[in-house]
Amino acid sequence: MHDDDAMDRLLRGAMAAEAPRLSHAFETAVMRRVRPRRLSARGRVTMVVYAAVALALSVWSMRGLDLRTMAVGVTAGLAIAAGASAYVRRLASGD
Amino acid sequence: MPYAERPDEWLVARCREAADEAAFAELVTRYRGPVFRLVVSILGQAFAADAEDVAQDVMVRIHQALPTFRGDAKFGTWVYRIAFNQALNAKARARFRVPHVGDEALEQAVSRDRDPHERLQETRRDRAVVDCMNDLPEVYQSALRLHYWLGASMSEIATLLDVPENTVKSYLHRARRLLSVMLAERGFHA
Repeated sequence: MHDDDAMDRLLRGAMAAEAPRLSHAFETAVMRRVRPRRLSARGRVTMVVYAAVALALSVWSMRGLDLRTMAVGVTAGLAIAAGASAYVRRLASGD
Repeated sequence: MPYAERPDEWLVARCREAADEAAFAELVTRYRGPVFRLVVSILGQAFAADAEDVAQDVMVRIHQALPTFRGDAKFGTWVYRIAFNQALNAKARARFRVPHVGDEALEQAVSRDRDPHERLQETRRDRAVVDCMNDLPEVYQSALRLHYWLGASMSEIATLLDVPENTVKSYLHRARRLLSVMLAERGFHA
């Protein structure tokens, strides 16, 4: 018991340093991280313009091909873009 | 009824069924303190600076895992289990960059208003206590830090570690005995 009391005093001394405190910005930072990210109005316009130009360029570059091949080409491109986007999002979330 | 008066289960259901941001914010407010203290108790003094980031990661993980919460255990118990595991992972990663404090640094840190030799011995003994603690089982370390460093009550430690209060007392008693033996092997006596 004497030894236990002595260890008790020793531990109190060894861990007398001030304990860290949580910052006031904690909750804001967490909510920012869990909130679904939305593009700003300017970002949305940029994305729409980019998609329209990309689609027009794709159609122009495939102008000699038949409609079915063009549809397959565009669909495959979109599928690859969606897959890459999902992969990047998964990497960013740390899963 | 305001969210602050709603039970955890209701808030969890709101998060899951309606993606209610305010409900999750209320859960964060309720659990940020205990989660942070549990994380600090696992990381220890050496990595305490990382505790806030780890606690944030815990909250984000909880948000992602809410759809898988089945309600078999209490929500708080589930939260603390996630926090414990996340903090252990963070500690394992942080060990690779553990800072080494040499005797020279300790000598420079010695206070001038007391006998320097006595103070140096005391500082070395305190460092030995902290070093030996790192060799104890994780739950013992966590219980010791919560009790001695963070001033947590027995019931708070029992809740955070999900064990009865008598088990916490037993953890602390066994940890002190083990530490005493380990310190004696290094030539320090309590």
